[in-house]
Formats: sequence, C-alpha cells, structure tokens
Amino acid sequence: MPKNINKAYKSPFQLAKERFLKNKLAIASIFFLLFIIGAAIFAPFLTDHDPKKGDLLLIEHAPSEEHILGTDGSGRDNFSRLLYGARISLTVGFSAMIFTLIIGVVTGAIAGYYGGIIDNLLMRLTDLVLALPFLVLALTIIALLEKVTIGIFVTIIAITSWPTLTRIVRGSFLSLREQEFVLGARAIGATDRRIIFKHVIPNAIGPIIVNATLMMATMIIAESALSFIGMGIPQPNPTWGNMLSEAQNIRILRNHPEAWIPPGLGILLTVLAINFIGDGLRDAFDPKSNP
Amino acid sequence: MYAYTIRRVLIFIPMLIMLSIIVFGLAKAAPGDPFTGKILDPTVDPEVFEQQREALGLNDPIPVQYARWASAMATGDFGTSMYYKGKSVQSLIQERALNTIYLGLFSLAITILVAIPIGMYSARNPYSLLDYSATTFGFMGLAIPNFFFGLVAIYLLSIKLGWFPAQGTISGTEIGGWEEWKSRLHHMVLPGITLGLAGTASYMRYMRSEMLDVLKSDYIRTARAKGMGERNILYKQALRNAIIPIITLMGFEFGALLSGAIITEQVFNYPGIGTLFINSIMNRDYPVIMAITLLLGVAILIGNLLADIFYSLVDPRIRYD
Amino acid sequence: MLIREKKLWILLVLLLAFGLLLGACGKDKEEPDKSEDQTEKAEKETDEQEEAVEEQTGPTAGGTIVGAMYSAPAGMFNPIFYEEAYEANILSFTHEGLVAQNESLEFIPSLAKSWETNDDQTSITFTLEEGVTWHDGEPFTAEDVVFTYQAMSDPDYVKAGGIRTAYVHPLKGYEAYNAGETEDFEGVVADDDHTVTFHFEEPNINPLYYASFPIIPKHIFGDMTVVEMAEAPESLDAGKVIGTGPFQYTEAIEREQYVLTKHEAYWQGTPYLDKIVWRVIAQSVMTGLLESGEIDFIADPNGIAPADFESVQALDHITIIEQADFGYQLLGFKHHHRTTEDVESGELNPDNWVPNEKVSNPKVRQALAYAINREGLVDGLLYGRGQPIDSPIAVQFWAYDDEAAIHYDFDQEKAKDMLDELGYVDQDDDGFREDPDGEEWVLNMHYPTGNELREKSAPLIQQMLEEVGVKVNLHQPKEMTAYVEGLTDDNSDWDLYLLGWSLGSSDPDPTGLWGVDAPYNFSRWNNPESTELLKKALKAPEAFEQDFRKEVYAEWQHVFSEDLPALLLYAQNSLWAYHNKLQNVDPLPFTMYENSHLWWVKEE
Repeated sequence: MPKNINKAYKSPFQLAKERFLKNKLAIASIFFLLFIIGAAIFAPFLTDHDPKKGDLLLIEHAPSEEHILGTDGSGRDNFSRLLYGARISLTVGFSAMIFTLIIGVVTGAIAGYYGGIIDNLLMRLTDLVLALPFLVLALTIIALLEKVTIGIFVTIIAITSWPTLTRIVRGSFLSLREQEFVLGARAIGATDRRIIFKHVIPNAIGPIIVNATLMMATMIIAESALSFIGMGIPQPNPTWGNMLSEAQNIRILRNHPEAWIPPGLGILLTVLAINFIGDGLRDAFDPKSNP
Repeated sequence: MYAYTIRRVLIFIPMLIMLSIIVFGLAKAAPGDPFTGKILDPTVDPEVFEQQREALGLNDPIPVQYARWASAMATGDFGTSMYYKGKSVQSLIQERALNTIYLGLFSLAITILVAIPIGMYSARNPYSLLDYSATTFGFMGLAIPNFFFGLVAIYLLSIKLGWFPAQGTISGTEIGGWEEWKSRLHHMVLPGITLGLAGTASYMRYMRSEMLDVLKSDYIRTARAKGMGERNILYKQALRNAIIPIITLMGFEFGALLSGAIITEQVFNYPGIGTLFINSIMNRDYPVIMAITLLLGVAILIGNLLADIFYSLVDPRIRYD
Repeated sequence: MLIREKKLWILLVLLLAFGLLLGACGKDKEEPDKSEDQTEKAEKETDEQEEAVEEQTGPTAGGTIVGAMYSAPAGMFNPIFYEEAYEANILSFTHEGLVAQNESLEFIPSLAKSWETNDDQTSITFTLEEGVTWHDGEPFTAEDVVFTYQAMSDPDYVKAGGIRTAYVHPLKGYEAYNAGETEDFEGVVADDDHTVTFHFEEPNINPLYYASFPIIPKHIFGDMTVVEMAEAPESLDAGKVIGTGPFQYTEAIEREQYVLTKHEAYWQGTPYLDKIVWRVIAQSVMTGLLESGEIDFIADPNGIAPADFESVQALDHITIIEQADFGYQLLGFKHHHRTTEDVESGELNPDNWVPNEKVSNPKVRQALAYAINREGLVDGLLYGRGQPIDSPIAVQFWAYDDEAAIHYDFDQEKAKDMLDELGYVDQDDDGFREDPDGEEWVLNMHYPTGNELREKSAPLIQQMLEEVGVKVNLHQPKEMTAYVEGLTDDNSDWDLYLLGWSLGSSDPDPTGLWGVDAPYNFSRWNNPESTELLKKALKAPEAFEQDFRKEVYAEWQHVFSEDLPALLLYAQNSLWAYHNKLQNVDPLPFTMYENSHLWWVKEE
C-alpha cells in the first residue's frame, strides 16, 4: 500500500484519538485521575502515619500539624486513611469494572449477535441473576463469608452486576445485526469474528463505553454503600466508603467536616473524572454525537 | 408475539424454582439461625431455643426443610416469621411492601418528570446553560453515594432548615383521609429524591445522548427534508426512537430501585421491604428472606419481560419468534 | 465551536454546586462549645426549679411526650412471650408485676401490698392491692396471677415461643405439670380473690424475684391455648393489649410509632400525661431530633452514644441522666475447647473439654491483662463515660466488692516481665514472642459487630497486645448471629473473644454466666473453687442471709479476677436524656420509666 494513501486514511482509532485529545475536560480528568492514582501509589511517601493504627489519646481530634485532617473515632490519622483509602477504592472500582466489562461484553456480544438458542440461554441466565437486585445478592453472599478480601469483594460485585451490561450490549447488537452494513458484510461473506470485531463492536462502542464508565462509578459507589450497611471491605482497612460511613452521624457532619468532606470529594471527583473520560471517549468514537 | 410471551412466562416457573433453591441454600449455608442471635440474655436458658428449633424443624436435613417450605408455598402459604413472633410473612410483607411501592413510584415519577423533558431539551439545545447545568447535576447525581446524599439532606433540609421530616413515613397520628396523605407525601420528599437521584441522572444522560443520535439520523433528516412539522418530528419520530433504550433501562430499573431502596430506607428509617430484608438476613428469618427474594424475583422478571415486549413493539425491526 | 466556553461552563456550574453544598454544611461549625460545668450547673438549676415550680403550681394534667428508640419492637406485647428491650420499653408502661424494685434494688410492693414467707422459704404469700383494674375495666384478682404462671408452665409454652421458663422452674410441681403428667398446677395458688401463694420445690433464697413477673389478664386469655395466645391479636395489636399499668398501648403505625394512652382508672391515680408516643428513629440523627424538639426523651437500650454526650449536654433544654449500667464488656479467654463430637451432639460436659494450651496458664492471662490499657479505652472510646471494672457483678449490687478483686492496672513493662519470666520470649527476632517451647504463639481473636465501641476496641486491643510482643490474629468481625454460632461451637481455634453482657437488676448471682456448666460460660472456665463458691452462695438456709452471700461472692470475685476466665474491659454508663419540660422524672438505676403516672409537662 502506498504511503500517501496511508497518510490520508486514518483508522477509526486514530481519528478517535485525535478527537479525544481535543476534549480538554476529558484530558483534565485524566490528569486528575493520574494525580489520585499517584497519591494512592506514593501514599507511604506522603504520610508517616499508619492508616490502621489507632490511638486512644487522639480520638476524633481536630486537624493539627501532625494530623492535617484530624483523626477518626479510633484515633487513626484521617489523611493517611484518605491516601490509602484511595488505593483500595480505586482498585475495587477499576478491577470490578474491568471484570464486569469483560463478562458483560463477551456474553452480550454472543447473545446479541448469534441470537437463537444461545441468546435464549444467556438471557435466562441474566434473568436469573437480575432477578435479584445487585445489592440483595451481594449482601446475601457477603453475609455468608468468613472473610471478605478485596479480591473476593471485587468478584462478588462482578458476578452480581454483569447482566446489566450484557443486556445493554445485546440490545445494541440486536439492532445493529439487522442494519445494512452488517447485512452487507455478511452478504460478501465476512466471518462472524470479523463482523463482530470490525463492524459491530466499533459501532456499539459508544453505549459500551458509556456503560462501562457508569459501571465504574457504580462500583466505587457500591463499595461505599456496602460499607454503609456494614458489608463492605471490613475495618480497619481504609476505604473511602468506610470513611464516609463512619461519618453517618449528625455530630461528625457538623463538627468534623474534615473527616467526611475529603473522602466525599474523593469519591465525587473521581467518579466525575471517570464519567468525563467516558464521555470524551464516547464523543471520540461516535463523532455523530458531536454538534 | 403471544407465543413468545407465553413461552417466557412458562420459563419463569423453573427459574423461580431455581432461584428459590439457590436462595434457600445460601440462607441455610450462612452461619447461625433465627435463634443464635437471641442467645444472649443471661436469664434465659438456651435450652428453650433448642426446643424451639426442634419445634420449627430447623434441625431437619436441609432438603427436608426445603420440601416443607416449597409444599407450603405451593398452596400459597408463605409461613410465619421466625423473628417477628406471631406474624404471618404475608402480613409483614403487605405492611411494608406498600411503603416501598409508594416510595418507588414517587421517586420514579420524579425521575421521569425531571429526566425526560430535561434530557430532550438538552439534546435539542446542546451546550446551552440548562444543558450544562443538567449535565453537571447528572454527573454529580451519579457521583454521590446515595446514603451520603441522604444524610446531608437530612442534616441540611430537615434538621437545619426544618423543611422536611427526616424519619419514617408519617408523623403525628393523622391517620386517615387527606391529612394522612399529605403527611406521607411530605415524608416521601427526602427519601424519594435520594432514591431517585441516580436514576434521574442516568435517564437524563441516556435521554440526551439517544435523542442527539436520533435527531442526527437519516430518517429524521429525511422527515425534515420532506417538510414534516418539527413538533411531529420531535414527538412522533424522535421521541419514539430515543425512548427505546430508556425503556430497556426501566425494565431493569426495578432492581436498581430496590437496591437503592435498601439503603435509602435505612437512612430515613423508612419501614419498607428493604429494611425488612436486611433485618431478616441479619436474623436469619428464613421464611421472610425466601418470600422477599421470590417476590422481588417475580417482580423483576415481569419487569424484564415487559421491557422486552415493549422493545419489540416500538422497534419493529426487532422480532421475537 | 465554543469548546473552551463549554468546559468553562461545566466547571463553573460544578464549583457553584460544590460551594453551595460545602457552605451550607460548614456553617454551623462555629456554634459555641458549652463547657461541661455550665451544663452541669444548668442541670442542677433545672432540678431546683423543678421542685420549686412543683411546690408553687403543682402538676397539671394533659400533654403528650415523645420518646425515641433506635429499632422497632418485634411486635410481641404479651409479657410472657416478649423477648427484646424494644418491646420492654412499651411493656414497662403497660404491665406490672406483684413486686417491683427500688433504688437500692430491694423489692418493694407493686400489685402486691405485702407478703410473708414461711420459715424454710418454700412458700410466700402475697396480699394483693384491691381496686386494681385492667385497662378494660375488669378487676385484677389472684386468679390472674395464677393464670400467668400457669401459662408459663404449660407444656406447650416453649413451643409457642416462650422463653421465660426461669421464672417458673423452681415452682412446686413444675416438672410434672410441664411434662403434662398432671392437670393440677400447684406452683401458684389463689387463696382468695386478693391472696395468692407461691410454692417452691426447694427453699428459695430470692422468692420475690420469681414473683416479679408482669401479670397478664385471665379474662382475656383464659379460653385460649398457649399456642393460640402467642398469635392472638390480644398479644400483638394496639388497642387489644390489656395490662394494669398506667398507660395502655392504643395505637400504632407499625415499625414507626407506638402510642400509649393514659389508663384513667389506674390504681395509683390517673396519670397526668395524656399520651406517650414512642417513635423509631435512626441513631445517626438522634441528637438532631433532640435538639429540634421532635423527640423528648431517649433512654434504653443504647441511649446516647458517649461520643454524642457533649453535643446533647450543650442543649439547654435537655437534662441528662448518667449512671452506671448493669453490664460490662469483656475480653474472654477460651480456657478450654470442646471436642467436635460434643459440639455436634450439643453436650456440655467439662470432663471432655480440651485445655487451650495457648492461654491455659493463668499467669499468661494475667500478663495479657496488664498489657491492656482499659483506662485508655474508657477515656478515649467512651469519652470517660464509664469505668474499668474487675468484678463481673454490676457495681450497683450489694454483692459487688471492688476490694476483693485483683486490679490489673495498665503496666506494659510488668506484662513484658511476666511473659519473659514465663519463657514467652522472641526467639527468631520477628518482633513477636514464641511460646516456651519455641513454637509460634499466635492468639486468634474474634469479635462481633453490633456495638460500635466494641468494634473499635478490637483493633486497639490487638495493637496493645502486640506492643508487648504478643502476636494477635484479629479475625474479621461477624454479625452477632454468625458470631454466636462460632462462640458456642467452640471446637475451633478461638483464643480471645469480645463480648458484652447486660445483666438483670434482680439478683447478682453470676452462675448463669460463669458457672462451669452454664452454656453462657463461653470461656469454658472450669475452676473447682469457683464452682464450690457459687453453689455455696445459693445454699439454703445460710444464703437467706444477704451478708453470708456477700462474703461468699467476695471470695468468688477474687477467684474470678485471679483465674481470669475473661478480662473485664469496662462498664459503660447508661446515658439517658429528657426534655426539661417533662417533670417528675424519677429514674432508678435500671430504668427511667419509674412512676410514669406522675410525669407531667410544664408548658413554657
């Protein structure tokens, strides 16, 4: 293939990349996320305090030079819990999202593209899982477990929440399947794999990405919700959810904003950033939606 | 279409049986039973709990217990709660389900009334001030854990400003008539918004993006080119197409709504199915756990089925056979 | 395209929204901190005012007050079937027993105005108050007393859900009646309409305790079987529940609100208050509701969290009642484990128990006790609202003897020295001690959820033990239902456990918790000396004398604190609060609801 043609023709991904780079909010969000990730990774260098170590003499103390965000109800340093908490919250969010995404897209694509019996079986399976609200299922399983580690927690979230994504992916496949360009590709004898990866997925990527970002948001929030009812990553592990759920008291809301605003902001801004990135990606992949 | 519906309904039955076996197994596998948690009153001889266990058949093999439950269930008997003594499961659920349904409908109403018009407006006037505000609030709505939103709302709107009651479904003793409903609605405002927050935000986003897609699609252009009226285009063509994914979402929203209800009800001490469910898990109140999961299962399966059927009705390209 | 502008807009709106949120939340940060003395003074002043006002104007009838609890009652309002504290909150206004307790925990007349025991204390005869009526106007008689105890002795009582068999166990002929061998109930006999006699199988050292159970009406339940009784609307529904108490349970919005209305014909005089309304609220918003006046009082169970004490104290219109609670939190040592066979068959036979080598040396337990900063837990976690205790008998009891017990004052150096001496030293330089054989020495510690302070104390205790070089494997907390199973089925690797007990106010006898074959002896403590003392303290006729028992219990408390089946961590103070408009609150050590018929509301 001559070079000049290559120059003129850009792959959809290159186009998407260019478009994405123009989206300043998304780029800013990426920097923000990198910042949070950096803070999480380098937490040991940013604070000397052990996030799990309490001190009876320092219970619910106001911010001081030593403890810039004060201490919590067990006398643990809030700032170090914030940093180390970012680690766990982000790990939970990211890995649960990836895990769910993989299951969801694969099953959704198979069901939506092939239809028929496979579709039927998969859909009944999703029905079965969906027949119980995510939280109900997660809660029941967690209540059973002797020990809840991050890995187990992520797995539980993933296996209880993939069907939503499956259904949505399947939905877009279902309508794409019948569209002209897919019918055309099939008519000229393209393989299923090729059709799925070259034609259907790129066209379904918008909803998938929008949903994956929503999912990631949901995951981080699900962690905090489960913490709230005492079924999250157990104490004394620091997570943003744990920190927030400790603040579920008028006294702390009122007297110790330094204890709940930072983790609250952490969740809020991180989830916002992820959503902005997702939106940016969506716009990039799906130029139709640009004005 | 009818054949499809009937087949789906028939598939329900084995699925519900599967579901009941799974839940029963899960519940029984959990350590403890309805009496272990009570064993902490030093004036009570634990022997009495052993006798009560025996009387309720909790010492029988699990398959036997399941069979007993299932055969009672088959005759429509949900059994008696093991925690709320003397109460039939049916009366317990009736008592609470109504509260949850009111709350759910209220928050769904808020969601639809807010999300769809704003989503449509945003799509028609992208990058307007309202669009930005809506997008921002949409994003924030998705980014705030709802228990936290609820707490802050209680703190600000109830305790600081005294606008709305913070707890329960009703205050005072104004039972009966218009006063009761006014009180109930007043009590539903905070939990309703809290519960509807995430839904509103995501519907708004979906509505906006679907509408944008549809408005740029070929058939809308064609319709415009043909000189079809803008109102007609918007409400007949565009809305109809944009609403498909929303409907799918709504079919599933049921589950999310109930998950949200579990948390929201806790925060606002709103006695609904969610609180009942958490309590029965904590107390290993097997008959109640089983009844609630089954009811939720049926409700959600029906929701999904309706979503599928509706999907095929509005989008003639999709056919089930 | 106006991209730049678009992003700006989003950011602006975001910031604005945030500013609003934060601004609104941060506003009241500057609220003045009321100093303790000030409020205490206010408290005293209120007390004085109270008396003064009472003298001048006297109580006025009318008014409604709202009480709060953190969880809804399960819904059983028949005293013989109720189980938990939330139901007790309501029943303590609606039902009464023959006798009640006063401030020094002595039994005083209630429905019975006097009594007499026979010489060997095998029977006690009560003369009942006359003119007592049930909420529905029927007269209260000796037949009701007989009926109540007969129902609790019924062969089907436990099957129907009853758990209060402890009250009827010692009654004469209980075994035979309960087994269904006879129709004759000899335990409680009505001599005439207002005289009733309790007969015991053996000399009873505390007969009044057994006679203190709330009485239920025969004319309501008389025709039902015990099983029917447990499901009857008269046991469950508002308006149908009948007692003799100053208030009647008349209305309810299930799970939210429980309304008690005054009993006009109450035998001690018509109550002043029209209504007492119980509301169910979340603990997290309690201080807010107390402040806004939506609730007027809060008491057991849980009351005010120690951390909230200051916020509540800062409220001028609220009076706090603080006193020692009947209960304690403990760090238990598993002295023995049971064999798997015993656990499966449910057998509790000390002869089969297997010593838990890891903590079986009493010196080791003592060393661990010295390593734990209990004062610190009280000052820190409890904000000083409690005290460390060394004796498992509530401080209010005559039997409590602080001097008798060994005090384990926080001294980590001493702990280290003791462990060194015993041969528990760090041999492989990992920072943790090995046992005298050089084997790894890791203590498995378990704890339940459900009590926030206890949950917080667990990692802190682990930390303290690790500070003296004891490796502790702190297991994840479990909810109570799952936890108790592990605690009971002790064929496992548990070494240390956290638990709390709330004790009754009627008798200090600790056999139920620490007797060798008591199921609640979760430490599986088997100390012959203790067994003997506990028996001795209950042996008639010597035990009829309180002084004798007091001496024996003093000895026992020493044995307990020396052998340490558990290290008692602290006794938390109960913190109750009520609105100053509520007059004549006369709290007892175990309840705030004393003489509620005299409560009245002073309108400001």
